Amino acid sequence: MKSSMDEPSEFEQRARQLLRDSVERLPAETRSRLTRARYAALSSRPSWQHSLARRWAPAGVGALAAAVFAVVFIMMPGSESPALNPLSSAAPEDLEMLADSDAVQLGGDQDVDYDFYEWAVSEAKGAGAPSVGT
Amino acid sequence: MLAFATLGPQTTDLLPLGKAHLRETTQDAARGLETFLAEVERKAFRIAQIALRHEADALDAVQDAMMQLAHRYSARPPEEWKPLFYRILENRIRDMQRRRMVRQRVMSWMPWRAEDEEEAPDPISQAADAAPGPAAQLESEQTMQALEQALTQLPGRQREAFLLRNIEGLDVAETAAAMKCSQGSVKTHYFRAVQALRSKLGDLAT
Repeated sequence: MKSSMDEPSEFEQRARQLLRDSVERLPAETRSRLTRARYAALSSRPSWQHSLARRWAPAGVGALAAAVFAVVFIMMPGSESPALNPLSSAAPEDLEMLADSDAVQLGGDQDVDYDFYEWAVSEAKGAGAPSVGT
Repeated sequence: MLAFATLGPQTTDLLPLGKAHLRETTQDAARGLETFLAEVERKAFRIAQIALRHEADALDAVQDAMMQLAHRYSARPPEEWKPLFYRILENRIRDMQRRRMVRQRVMSWMPWRAEDEEEAPDPISQAADAAPGPAAQLESEQTMQALEQALTQLPGRQREAFLLRNIEGLDVAETAAAMKCSQGSVKTHYFRAVQALRSKLGDLAT
């Protein structure tokens, strides 16, 4: 009296035989309905076009997301458009001149000789008047 | 754009080739699936019929299992189909049993009974096709009825293990995958099922 799944006992063999006979003796109408059910199931299966779409959908979604991100980044209010940015429209020579600290001393007031400029202005004003020394 | 233009004609040739290959692969899979379903449908129906004791419900359960397998899991490797299919079927059977219990409980509170809702089986459609002989067939049918009756009295998991093993012929590993439990549990359920059936039916005289 074995009841192992590897070595079926007589009882199990008999039960198996009965069950398999009952499968074979299914009424024709039931078999026909099962066949119809099978075709219905197979027709509900996704088509190869759907499979293709499903395969490429992640790549498409990724590309779309990248495009949307790029558009949003360009149109953002904080971003500077090339037309409004004075630096972008400046010629390269102008930028070079601005960067050259030796050419123009902007804001280096400590080195300006104000006495010289005052003397030069007074000289210009008094150009028509007789000179003090002469 | 420039990058796509520089891919060259050989790359563009690959796209229709891939599409054709995918179409062929999908058609092969469809043929494989049809063969598989044709192979399991009758056995699955008997398993559902024994568990539910109702032909129309059993047909519904099998059809639902087929549809779910075809719709959701047809892309899986074919060797996975059988355990998946029977797992879906068993879940469906359990759902139907639960629903039936709830319906019975609700109906028991009603002043009228819904006995007329249960369809009486059509004796013509129930008639067996091939018969070995009237006496032998009668005896076999009586034994089968006794076995079926005893199977319905088993706990669900024991019946499941016994039927998957003896109707479908699944091995321990496949049965465990279908029942979503360990192989040890399958052995235990199966052993208890055999013990219980034998105590009720004796040796199933031939």
